[in-house]
Amino acid sequence: MRFARNLIPLAVVLTLGVGVACKKPAPAPAEPTAPAAATAPVTSDADAQKRAEEEAARRKAEAEAEAARKAAAAAEMARQEKFKNDAAAALKDINFEFDKSDIREMDKAKLQAIADFLKAYPEAKIQIAGNCDERGTVEYNLALGERRAHAAQNYLTGLGVAEARLSSISFGKEKPEVQGHDDQSWLINRNCQFSLQ
Amino acid sequence: MMKIPALIKAMNGVDRMRWIGVTGEIMKKLVLGLLFALAPLLSAQAPPNQEVVLSASAGSKLGIALPYPRISGLPEATVTNEFHQVLTKDLEEAGPFAVIQKDLPGATDAASYKAWADTGTEWLLTTAINRSAGGDLEVMIQVVDVMAGQGKNVKAVMSKRYTGKDGALRRIAHKISDDLMARLTGDQGVASTRVVFVKEAGRGIKEIYQVDRDGANPYPLTNYRSLTISPSVAPDGRLAYVTYKGGAPEIWGQRVPGGPQVKLYPPSGKAEGHCFCPSWSPDGKRLALVQSDRRGNTDIVMLDLASGRVRRLTDSNCINTDPSWNPAGTQLAFTSDREGGPQVFLMGDDGSNVRRLTQEGTYNGSPAWSPTGSMIAYVSRFEGKFDLFVYKLGEGKSYQITTGVASSESPSWSPDERRIVFSSGSRGGMQLYTTDLSGNTLRKLISLDGCQSPKWTRAR
Repeated sequence: MRFARNLIPLAVVLTLGVGVACKKPAPAPAEPTAPAAATAPVTSDADAQKRAEEEAARRKAEAEAEAARKAAAAAEMARQEKFKNDAAAALKDINFEFDKSDIREMDKAKLQAIADFLKAYPEAKIQIAGNCDERGTVEYNLALGERRAHAAQNYLTGLGVAEARLSSISFGKEKPEVQGHDDQSWLINRNCQFSLQ
Repeated sequence: MMKIPALIKAMNGVDRMRWIGVTGEIMKKLVLGLLFALAPLLSAQAPPNQEVVLSASAGSKLGIALPYPRISGLPEATVTNEFHQVLTKDLEEAGPFAVIQKDLPGATDAASYKAWADTGTEWLLTTAINRSAGGDLEVMIQVVDVMAGQGKNVKAVMSKRYTGKDGALRRIAHKISDDLMARLTGDQGVASTRVVFVKEAGRGIKEIYQVDRDGANPYPLTNYRSLTISPSVAPDGRLAYVTYKGGAPEIWGQRVPGGPQVKLYPPSGKAEGHCFCPSWSPDGKRLALVQSDRRGNTDIVMLDLASGRVRRLTDSNCINTDPSWNPAGTQLAFTSDREGGPQVFLMGDDGSNVRRLTQEGTYNGSPAWSPTGSMIAYVSRFEGKFDLFVYKLGEGKSYQITTGVASSESPSWSPDERRIVFSSGSRGGMQLYTTDLSGNTLRKLISLDGCQSPKWTRAR
């Protein structure tokens, strides 16, 4: 966020700076024309001056366009950075009790934050992955992960998120988040993970 | 360890689950961290009611001796490693044989037969192995009944010639073991069988592998660098499995034996939920599989491979998974939590006549119908780990097969119904083991970590 806010003033300074820098060469061609007229009367002073002015105008336009491009790129970068940061802040795992797929009271605020994020970024889509701890059979856990992902999906659609923006998948106990074999690790591994699609 | 069976006897009649718990505590103290070094001890108890499901006691085994082969044209080390040890192990593990380990001559005279008979040998297997300069192998075996052979001219009960190229010795040894089994016991052996399984190949990456029954020649059958799980093998060797290589889980496998591995289900653009756990019907024409619906429930559906037609067999507001066929292809065992926790149920292959099989315990699953159809192996969870059980349909009773601090999961029957292969381990390090139905001979199939979901097959 801080980085993103700082980028916009920086972009403005850049634009102005380039603008000031390219104004300087404009009067310059006027000076060399005088001695040139004295030593080389064949050349048309008017032509030379016209060419120089055209060149200066072209350079100025180029520089301004470049500055605009940079400013736009910086703004886009800042926007993406903010999107990424907002996504990271909102898309937090929720956890489950053993062999359960009920949304815990304490996780409802997390799901609200995910719904708010999706409202703030109408183009964003997310995948919900249901996971289980190692203390169950392979196949039953795949089904249980499916059920957990759908529980989170249902809760989010209940908060007004369009179903088309949510996809689900289950990894059962096949992709544990942590490798431990204690209550704390099992709790961490019984989850739904939310990721941008 | 000898005290444990006595303890079990003393505890006859004690509630089964409590018995497991008490024994589990004792086991923990005894075994400590040496789980796998002492693996055979972990299941060295009979079920609490002292019944043994199937076991050939040492006394009733057929004594067979196999003197070292006469060899020409190839090194002794090759014959030792790729033939003699392989055949000895095959026969020892076949079930009905006791291999007599005596250094006596494999001569065909009455005195030699008498010497063998005195060691308890009933059958004497003599072998000659020749290798030509071109690398052609010829293995000739002869089996005589040494009891009948004393003092008389005896005819061999079995004479057979096997041929192959270099590298074929191991395969020939397995073939000899199976032929002996067929000739001497009438049963089809399993020495030539293989086990297909899942092996972890990195974080979130699993592939399908296969290995010979004796743990030799492990090699990968898939290389998707993705999550690939839940293999099933058709009677003609065709594979089916689940892979996440395209993102969502799909059923991939072979439409023809030896053919390319292609997507079997769902058809492109027709995903109506995710697919799991394919299981070939015994005739190889249908796949029972598991499909999730929009509400997060999972049902068992039936895919007819030829027509692509799909029929839903279960339709309840719950989890239904783990389909396992009876050998006739008319019924399925499966896991469902329709009555609360996961339990094993049976139903017809059209979804009719659903009835609950397991009655004890709060978490039962992974049913595996036995090759003759008379038993169903499954796992039951207690104190955070699973043990193997076998339900005998004729008796309507369950028997516990494994006991220990390790969790034992995913049972699959040997084709001869004598053993069960399963994954077992603690703290996530699962390896493959086989056990007989008494739980007395636990063997590690292969020393590989991160293995799961073994399927024992004759067809590959």
